[in-house]
Amino acid sequence: MWKKGEIILAFYINSKKIRPEFKRMVLRKKIIPWLFLLPILLLHLFVTIGPSISSIYYSLTDWSGLGTAKFIGIGNFQQLWFNDKSFISAFSHNSIWLFYCIITFVMALLVASLLAPLKKGGIAIRTVLFIPFVLSSVVTASIWRNLLNPDRGIGAQLAKIGIYGLDKAFLGITKTSLFTVFFIDNWHWWVFIMVLLLTAMQNIPKELYEAARVDGVNRWQEFRYVTLPGIRPTLFFLILMTGIWTFQTFDYIWILTYGGPAGSSEVLGTLVLKNAFIRLEAGYAAAIGLTMSLFSGILVSIFVYLKKKGLEI
Amino acid sequence: MILSLFVIFALGPIIVLIFNSVKGSAELGRNPLGPPREVIIENYPDAWETGNFSTTVRNSLIIVTGTVSGVLLFGGMAAYSLAKLKLPRIVPNILIIYLLVISSLPVQLFLVPLFVLWRTLHLIDNLLGVIIIYIALYSPFSIFLMRAYIIQIPGDFEDAARIEGANEWQVFTKIVVPLSWPVFLSVGLIVSMFAWNEFLIATVFLTKREVFTVVTSYFAFSKRFGVDWGLTSAAAVMMIIPIISVFLIFQRRFIQGLYQGGIKG
Amino acid sequence: MKKLLLWIVVLMLVATFSLVGCKTAPEAVEAEEVAEEVEEEAAVVEETPVVEEEKAKIVIWGDTVDGDTALTGWEEDIIPQFLEQNKNIEIEYTQQPNVHETTRTALLGGAGPDIVISYGPSFASELAKGGYLYPLDDFVKEYGWDNVFAPWSLTSYIVEGSLYALPDEIETLVLYYNKTLFDEKGWKPPTTIDELLVLCKDIAEEGIIPFAHCNAEWRPANEWFVGEFLNHAGGTQVVYEALIGQGSWTDPSLVYSMEILNEIVQKGWFTGGLDRYYTTTFDEQLAMFGDGKAAMNIEGTWSICDYPNYFGEEAGNSNDWDWVPMPSVTGEAIFDVGIGSVWGINKNTEYPEATAKFIDYFYSSEVQGRLLSGVMGKAPAPVELEEKDLKGVDPRYAEILLSLSKAFEANNYGYTTWTFLGPKSNLYLVEEIEKVWAGDITVEQYLEGMQEIFSEELEAGEGLPIPVR
Repeated sequence: MWKKGEIILAFYINSKKIRPEFKRMVLRKKIIPWLFLLPILLLHLFVTIGPSISSIYYSLTDWSGLGTAKFIGIGNFQQLWFNDKSFISAFSHNSIWLFYCIITFVMALLVASLLAPLKKGGIAIRTVLFIPFVLSSVVTASIWRNLLNPDRGIGAQLAKIGIYGLDKAFLGITKTSLFTVFFIDNWHWWVFIMVLLLTAMQNIPKELYEAARVDGVNRWQEFRYVTLPGIRPTLFFLILMTGIWTFQTFDYIWILTYGGPAGSSEVLGTLVLKNAFIRLEAGYAAAIGLTMSLFSGILVSIFVYLKKKGLEI
Repeated sequence: MILSLFVIFALGPIIVLIFNSVKGSAELGRNPLGPPREVIIENYPDAWETGNFSTTVRNSLIIVTGTVSGVLLFGGMAAYSLAKLKLPRIVPNILIIYLLVISSLPVQLFLVPLFVLWRTLHLIDNLLGVIIIYIALYSPFSIFLMRAYIIQIPGDFEDAARIEGANEWQVFTKIVVPLSWPVFLSVGLIVSMFAWNEFLIATVFLTKREVFTVVTSYFAFSKRFGVDWGLTSAAAVMMIIPIISVFLIFQRRFIQGLYQGGIKG
Repeated sequence: MKKLLLWIVVLMLVATFSLVGCKTAPEAVEAEEVAEEVEEEAAVVEETPVVEEEKAKIVIWGDTVDGDTALTGWEEDIIPQFLEQNKNIEIEYTQQPNVHETTRTALLGGAGPDIVISYGPSFASELAKGGYLYPLDDFVKEYGWDNVFAPWSLTSYIVEGSLYALPDEIETLVLYYNKTLFDEKGWKPPTTIDELLVLCKDIAEEGIIPFAHCNAEWRPANEWFVGEFLNHAGGTQVVYEALIGQGSWTDPSLVYSMEILNEIVQKGWFTGGLDRYYTTTFDEQLAMFGDGKAAMNIEGTWSICDYPNYFGEEAGNSNDWDWVPMPSVTGEAIFDVGIGSVWGINKNTEYPEATAKFIDYFYSSEVQGRLLSGVMGKAPAPVELEEKDLKGVDPRYAEILLSLSKAFEANNYGYTTWTFLGPKSNLYLVEEIEKVWAGDITVEQYLEGMQEIFSEELEAGEGLPIPVR
């Protein structure tokens, strides 16, 4: 940081009005970088940091969102973690969702490994597969809601040609609602993971593959011993980010099921909004938000810890 | 091959949507998934009217333009500072960690106080209010991207300019920005996509009909289109055409940008 | 090239901000213009300025959410007609964005509009309790409002013995049925709960869905059915006592009412099954109802404007609809009350008499009838409407309103949950009933939880005003 000597020097120069170019240089060196950072830092402070800190404060009160807030200490957290069934339920749904993400990664790894060796054709396919990702969540939800209609959708058409069992209103059945929403969300974003893994795969030096082929390994072994280790950093990073993003999932649940039926697809993200704007318990909602961040923080810490330990992540 | 299955999986639903967007309700009842036998192109102007697209498209465009400009300008400045300007040694690392932390904070954490703050400032139901939020939200990712690029621009050009007597701002605007146009383009594309498609913030902060974006309007008024799924599909197609077209043209930059930002950052 | 790029970026920013500035400015400018116009109109209508008598001026604030049709309605119909009869009064009507906030701030500062309009019952309650409103008891006597207003509406906002506010925009729910279908099959619309259950069985046996209900697009639709059954199969008096904290939501008759509802749902009589109920959209629901695939629909008076799209030639069928009051235990006609907005007079008003006069005018059968049928399509005030004033309204809707008045006189009214329950209780009611239907909790547990949350809210002073029965 600023060395004491430099500060003194700056003041000295300033007061003595000596060598203006020197003064300018000092100024340029020290302040200008910060000036360039200033706008965005101010914006962040205003939009993200400030409100986040307020949230920490409000989570310790019984604020309703309007009017005054009374300090109640860790009351919200006690209520939330130990007494609130909907929280436990939502948290478990987020965890189950994370578990479902295994499907996403399997799909991504499979397709990425198929596309990696391709050249020109690969780019075309990659582009086409990527299109669902650029659609807005409302449109995707709308498309799939229609496709999943038990009377007019895919299930119904399949039933006509003899494949039964898929013409149910999956979004309306408590046992399947969460998975159905996951399925739709997955359709939207699995390509994102795939493309990142693909690029990582394409960065694996060809020599490693050649060496493996010389040793006479089959495709699966090639994948296991060359590809996987090669993409390990990217893979773990994506798993970490998926973990974090999964706990923030919101759009599709809100649009498709609103957490229902009977709370079977409620997640932490929707719980926050319901508490903040419908039950008018903003302090409680802040506590949920804080819990979500805490959990993300734990995930990141585990990641950083493992990295420090040199676990080649 | 397996790949073709995935292609059908990805494109199928969209193709069905396009088919349905030109069907009348009668045909939709008989033929819900297949190609249209009778093309009713009037669905499109009808959907445009009913969905008030002239207003919502304008609103969405305003938001996208504002957000992209803000991110490129303020984020670019920050990226330049982190990449090239001499900050005390550990600061860039701290700031990078700071940006990482900020981008992993759930929106729900600061949503409520932000909403109350915005309400006090009369920024609710105001496109500018949303633009400011988007700039703050999408800048960390963008700064990572831009910094990674700027850092590998050879410093000779800047030094030469400085010797000529240029101040930092001039170095930034006349040398660095022009040289960084590829990453600026990538960032612009990606941020445009996120801003056009965004749902949570738009729904919470824009509640009056005049300021609805394409996304919130579609969500709020899916009832208006009636049981005519054809109309609704046409509306959906109109919403996604701009973003798909832009994507197809610039797809390499898009994907490259996401990779750089996601991994390198 | 390089400079150009930067300029483009800067220009985009500038363009954005100026466009955005344009976006929000017109509203404020419009409001001012409207206010000026209204004043000008008032000035023009007035023929001979009375020099001695000072003109009373009434300021009214609506919300921009009401939109242009409402604004036009006020400017061109409501206000001019009043001014014709009352030449010594001036009226200024403007629409404020976020009118509650603006009003609250103004009232706190001792200013504010003369007529305070609350969108939803709770804001008025806050103001009444806070002492910001002018007592209305003298006006009730002066204008004979107790002969015109529904009795319950004059007991809703009583604080320490005085009346402070009057409800407006009344909605209710009834049992709609596909008349053509009923005639065809020889079914009679039910009047008691028992008849309803028997009827459902008959309908189901014919392979037709008894009720077209859905909540895919509006989850809180659950509250319509829970509310109707609590009041009609349980009893309005019991509900009343629970609401004022003297009874309990776990009363056996309420348990019974929820069990009936559960039975109906479990038998798949809602839209052919719970999963369909959760995933059907409003349009599919109404199409089902219009086409005769479903026989009945318990819904609010708000849906009457949608029905023409689904019944008749244009909709592709030759069916028509009709209504009966939601069946009750005794067969009496009971209507659950939903309140849209509430009116009060500012405590610091300079012209209380003039303001009361306007209120009397606005709430008159004549004006309400006009507003109903044409000008704004507004839901009516809880006053006795005369047939002659309902000429422009769908005769069935008119019938509903006339029956409403009679029922109110006989105190046969119930409580819609969204009007009379606090936010936490209401959310609980909507969400937890799904757990009952899923079999996760029993009806007793549901109502016990309800009682718990409700008492908490009541104790914290977050309950809503309940009219004295």
